[in-house]
Amino acid sequence: MFRTASFRLAALYTVLFTVSALLLSVVIFWIVRGTLDQQIRTRIMAESAALQAEYDAGGVAALVASVRTRELSPGAFDYLVQSPDGTRLAGNLPTIARTGWIELTVDGETGRQTEQHGERPERIRVLVTPLAGGLLLAVGDDLSRIAAMKDAVIAASSLAVGLVVLAGILGGGVLSRAFLRRVDTITSTAQAIIDGDMQQRIPLRGTDDDFDQLAAILNKMLDRISALMGRIRNVSGAVAHDLRTPIARVYHDLDAAQTHAGTPDEFRAAMENAKSGLIAALETFSALLRIAEIEAGTRRSRFRRLDMSAMAIEVADAFAPSIEEEHHGLHLDIEPGIEIEGDRELLTQLLANLLENAMRHTPPGCEITISLRRQDQGALLVIEDDGPGVPDDERSRIFEPYYRGGKPLAAPGSGLGLSLVAAITELHHAALAAHNARPGLRVEILFPRVVAPPRS
Amino acid sequence: MKILVIEDDSSTAAYIGRGLKEQGHVVDHAATGRDGLFLAGGEHYDVIVVDRVLPGCDGIGLVRTLRTTGIKTPVLFLTTLGRIDDRVEGLEAGGDDYLVKPFAFSELLARLAALTRRPPLGEAAPVLCVGDLVMDLKARSVTRRGETIALQPKEFQLLEYLLRNVGRVVTRTMLLEHVWDFHFDPRTNIVETHVTRLRAKIERGHGERLIETLRGIGYVIRAPS
Repeated sequence: MFRTASFRLAALYTVLFTVSALLLSVVIFWIVRGTLDQQIRTRIMAESAALQAEYDAGGVAALVASVRTRELSPGAFDYLVQSPDGTRLAGNLPTIARTGWIELTVDGETGRQTEQHGERPERIRVLVTPLAGGLLLAVGDDLSRIAAMKDAVIAASSLAVGLVVLAGILGGGVLSRAFLRRVDTITSTAQAIIDGDMQQRIPLRGTDDDFDQLAAILNKMLDRISALMGRIRNVSGAVAHDLRTPIARVYHDLDAAQTHAGTPDEFRAAMENAKSGLIAALETFSALLRIAEIEAGTRRSRFRRLDMSAMAIEVADAFAPSIEEEHHGLHLDIEPGIEIEGDRELLTQLLANLLENAMRHTPPGCEITISLRRQDQGALLVIEDDGPGVPDDERSRIFEPYYRGGKPLAAPGSGLGLSLVAAITELHHAALAAHNARPGLRVEILFPRVVAPPRS
Repeated sequence: MKILVIEDDSSTAAYIGRGLKEQGHVVDHAATGRDGLFLAGGEHYDVIVVDRVLPGCDGIGLVRTLRTTGIKTPVLFLTTLGRIDDRVEGLEAGGDDYLVKPFAFSELLARLAALTRRPPLGEAAPVLCVGDLVMDLKARSVTRRGETIALQPKEFQLLEYLLRNVGRVVTRTMLLEHVWDFHFDPRTNIVETHVTRLRAKIERGHGERLIETLRGIGYVIRAPS
């Protein structure tokens, strides 16, 4: 509990509050002390002035008499009337040689009639006034009130600091316990997932606080990982099938040849079969590796600014004779000079795969259209055919690995051509969509607009 | 031709060695990068075949070392590493060609032949010819018996590549790489259809066959005997 972030935060705040409480106490103490001192001085000056007036009016005798009377009243000042030769005529202060403001420290037994503070020495503020005729008049007041005030301030600030520390520890404890409870739910969920239960999710409290938001993000991440794992499971199943099938076929061919083949021609035929089976397996393997390479995203570092229009025309030209030979029509509608950022090799393959897909899944006589147009958001590449198309409920699945339009897995082709297209599209941050061309299939790829200035 | 094969897998090395010797070539074999480097530095070879993954030394490092020591012998990488980055890396290190295992032996032979008789850069002849067919590279024109033949740009490129390799076998993948810059294998027979069209233009009505098809291997252009 003491290691949680919230407890540490609470501890930090406790320290801060303590320091500020102490500072406040010190400031209050200084201000109050200054005020008290000023009050004491004012009272002393008033008393001195009154006594001086009595001396001026009635001489030494009147002064001495007045002092003796005043001494007896409760809460009285300390006095001294000193003759020019230095003898004390009245009062209880020790004799003084200087005039003006002075501070004296006297024992508790100076003979003051008022209440004493035990053995504690008394500090007295004294104003010494010279009178006519060489007399000195001293009036003093003790500073014990300031000392008492200091004690009170210290007591009050200790109490305040004590309360702040207590509140800090309690608050920190409560906070971190609440924090730990939330963390514990995440920890236990994570542990359950580590132990193999991928379906576990972090419960939300519905408060939409930062913890809930974190939990929601983590849950989203877990969903994504689950989906990816599911896809990998499907793919690896298909891979196992796709690689095992040709390898098994090769094995059987060779096995049969070993047992049954008699003439060199029969052996040669068996080997020819075996070779083509292995080539099929290798093709699947290369396609998978290439998809993995593309999905790793490292090829983005080799992106260049490319003339997509020229590339599309070039690939279309490469395929044109083959398309014609299969009695398909090819129609180009390509706006010139459209540039995108990309990988030439992969984009060539993307165009080739889309064209081959259109050729392979349409009967002779169909028209294939390639169009490339500038749009506000970027460049839109469309490959469209007027063949039988793909049923609506299956159209979103054509980019999944091993989708073969309801045909058995053993149908020719690696089943990865359009997955490769999807991977290349994603690498280029382009949007891929398949639509019904009524009839036929229409594949649209929207490449993002090139923002960087042209390279010189 | 004297060929150095640097390959650690003894079965592959024996396969290559036997095949090349049958074609009348002299073959030296090194099983490690160190031995290979030693041989390549000491003797003259017409071409070197290097595996990318070798014990003790990477094939890339080996070729880079060869190139920095000034040895310009053509190098063909023979490897299981078939990613785009692998190929680019191999060519950037100084390799001249890149062939991914497994390969057809005819493919290796054709590529080695193309590497060894490649004319040095900058000495490209302005005119290529076979028999009575003449290609003028400057005027971008093709004539046969003085008659001009109009070709599409790709057909011209295709014919040019065949003519640069007169008398030598050129495989389908070599044409895909050099004429179309396709480094993948399309399932469509685009090479075949283009060759058919080219043939129709340069052979039909002009006399003897010039382009010979070698089934399952590739094409060769040669003067009619």
